[in-house]
Parts: sequence; structure tokens; C-alpha cells
Amino acid sequence: MSWFSRREPAARGAGTQTVENGPEVYRSLALPAVLTTLSRGHKLNVLDLGPAIGDNVERLSEFGCKLFIEDLFASKSAVPAGEGMLSADFFAQFLAPPEGTLFDIVLAWDLFNYLDHRELVHLADRLRRFCRPGSLLFALISNHKTIPAQPIRFRFNGEETDQLIYEKRTQVERPGPRLASGELNDILRGFRVDRSFLLRHGIQEYLYVREGA
Amino acid sequence: MAWKRSDDPPGNHPAEPAPAAPRPTPAPSVTSPSAAPEPPRRSGDRATIGPSIFIKGDLTGDEDLVIEGRVEGRVDLKQNNVTVGRNGKVKADVFGRVVTIEGEVDGNVFAQEQAILRQAGAIRGNISAPRVVLEDGSRFKGTIDMEPNKDRPGTGSTGVSGASGIGHQAQASAPSRIGATDAGSAGESPVGASRPAQAG
Repeated sequence: MSWFSRREPAARGAGTQTVENGPEVYRSLALPAVLTTLSRGHKLNVLDLGPAIGDNVERLSEFGCKLFIEDLFASKSAVPAGEGMLSADFFAQFLAPPEGTLFDIVLAWDLFNYLDHRELVHLADRLRRFCRPGSLLFALISNHKTIPAQPIRFRFNGEETDQLIYEKRTQVERPGPRLASGELNDILRGFRVDRSFLLRHGIQEYLYVREGA
Repeated sequence: MAWKRSDDPPGNHPAEPAPAAPRPTPAPSVTSPSAAPEPPRRSGDRATIGPSIFIKGDLTGDEDLVIEGRVEGRVDLKQNNVTVGRNGKVKADVFGRVVTIEGEVDGNVFAQEQAILRQAGAIRGNISAPRVVLEDGSRFKGTIDMEPNKDRPGTGSTGVSGASGIGHQAQASAPSRIGATDAGSAGESPVGASRPAQAG
């Protein structure tokens, strides 16, 4: 395969081999707000910074949105290790939507856990540029000391509006980011926290809103 | 967006295009690494471009098409089904009624009814279709432009809460797992038994 780095198919269902305990379903307290915004009838631009997942595309297709799928972690993984942290130029190339495109919803999932501080700053710069006032940013931040070495895959759970299926792709762990909310808010200046939920399993859900210019 | 492509292996591109192939190509150039160019095979109302065929040009017609070879240019079969088979490599915009991708497409896909990206398939480009299916394991980079399906409510059967209550932060004490095996998170409640978010 030439222009894709092949990744293992997502683990699903009873046949899951990659995850000892299989996919888990958790309630999301911020997701309903995202779906409500999608259901308002306008054709919205949705940026998904995770991998292309069929269930999510199918769910989002109900809303007739325009979905931009940019798997940042996969792109980051394709960069040679010796090149170090991702540069501003990388993000400028990575997140370069067609002229005039502004995102209404950004699904960052747990990506922020896997970016260094400077990388987060660069990404935030791009998001500020390509989000219109009122745009939503959905992110999941881990409060654990360790996190899976690869981002979790999150799926919408069928028609449920407040549930996400978590699929860990590896048992290998790495240190968690321990991002303080103040630090995150500083990085994401220009976005304000609309709502934030600390879930019992140690994940903090954030829903940010892009402030007016 | 950041595309990364490797060069095609040497020898895949013939030096000179061969004579035009019969339908469904009006005037494409067809080459084959082997001897004489092989015309698309017809099976009922479906034509097949075999694995050894390389077509450079526009493809049009009025029958379904399966591409197992290589196509560069444009595939325009808006009223018919187009399948890019496992061996197919298409560097073109593809127009069809139902477009199914099992091979590689480097270009945009426009489907009147549905676009299906199978597990082995890969698209680098944009998809425009009322219905899009991406199977797990498929590879996709680009945008998906989906028309609203007027037959279905936007938010599912359970409804969603409003997003307009901006400006509050809350801590939820019960994130709730359902039906999951024990992952060491004792005390979490099954969905449906969770407590609501508390203002914090």
C-alpha cells in the first residue's frame, strides 16, 4: 500500500484478541450536546481527528454533515522518530482544509493525551484559525498516571446519544499527560469550557466553545 | 492535508500507450505488460477490467463496471454501479450509482446512492454520497460529504439534551459502564443507573 500506513483493524465484539477485556461502553455526558448541535438541520463541517471508523461515519451520516477525517496520531506515527516533535509546519500541512472551510465541530477524542505541549500549541493555533465562533471542541483527557500507548478508539454506540464504546488497541501503557485544566485552557485560549465532566473511570470530558473573534 | 505517497514501482507504467480498448471506454489508451491489450470482459450487464489492464483516459458507459486493473483519468458511470476490486488501482474521480471500493482509489468518489469502502479498500480523496459505509480496517483520508437523510430523525430515538446551557461546569460521579467485562473499575454503574451530573 503506497500512501497509507496500514493499521490493524479495530477490535470489536466477542472475537476481540487485542484487548483482554474487550470494548467497553461508557456514558458520555458531553456527547449529547454535540449531537444536539448536529441535529439542528444545518449542514455542518465536522473535523474528526481520530481514525475513520465506520460506525461513527454511519452515525454522523444521519445529520448530513461534511466530515473531515484527519487521523493525527497516525500521521504523527508516520513521521520518523528522529525528527522529534511535530513542527508548526507539520500542522500547517496536516490541517489545511479547502479555502473558506471553517469547522463547526471538532472531535479530538483522546488525542490531546498523545501530544506534547508544543504540539498542542501548534494544533490549537490551527483550530483557532479554522473554527468559527460557536464551534464545539470535544476532547477526553486522562487523569491516570498511565494511558494506553495508542489512542483509544471511540465509537458511537448505535443510536444511543450518550454512550461511547471504548476500544483499547494495546495493553502497552505509557505515562499519562497529567494535563492540568489550567494548562489546557491556556493552550486552548480562544476556546472556553462550555462543560466539563470528570468521569469515574478517570477520564475528563471537555466541551469547548470557540469564542467570538 | 498531509498526503504521503510513495513512488510507483518501476515497470508498472508502460512507456507507450497501446490502442484504445472497446467499451466502456470511448477513447482511452490501454496497455498491458503482456502482449496484446485485453478488452474488458462482459458478464451480463457488467464489464470487468482485468488485473493486467492499464487504462489512461475517461471511462463512460451504461453498464456496471468492475475494475481489477489500473485506471487513470475519470470513471463516469453515474447510472451504474462501479466496483474497484481488490486488485484495482484507480487514480481518478469515480462517478457511479453505488460505488464499492475494495482496492485503492486516489481521487474523489461521487456516488448517487451509496459509497462503500470495504475492509481491504483505501481512498485518498473525498467521498460525496447520501450514504457512506466504511468497514473497519479500511483506510481513508479526506472528507465525506453526506446529504441529510430526511427519513430519519437526527438525534436517534432517545433524544438529546440541549447544548445551549453554556457556561457551567459539572463533575459527574457516575460515568457508567455497560455490559463490559470487569476492567478494574469497580463501583461504576451500568448505564441507566447512573446519577446525573452534579453542578460543580
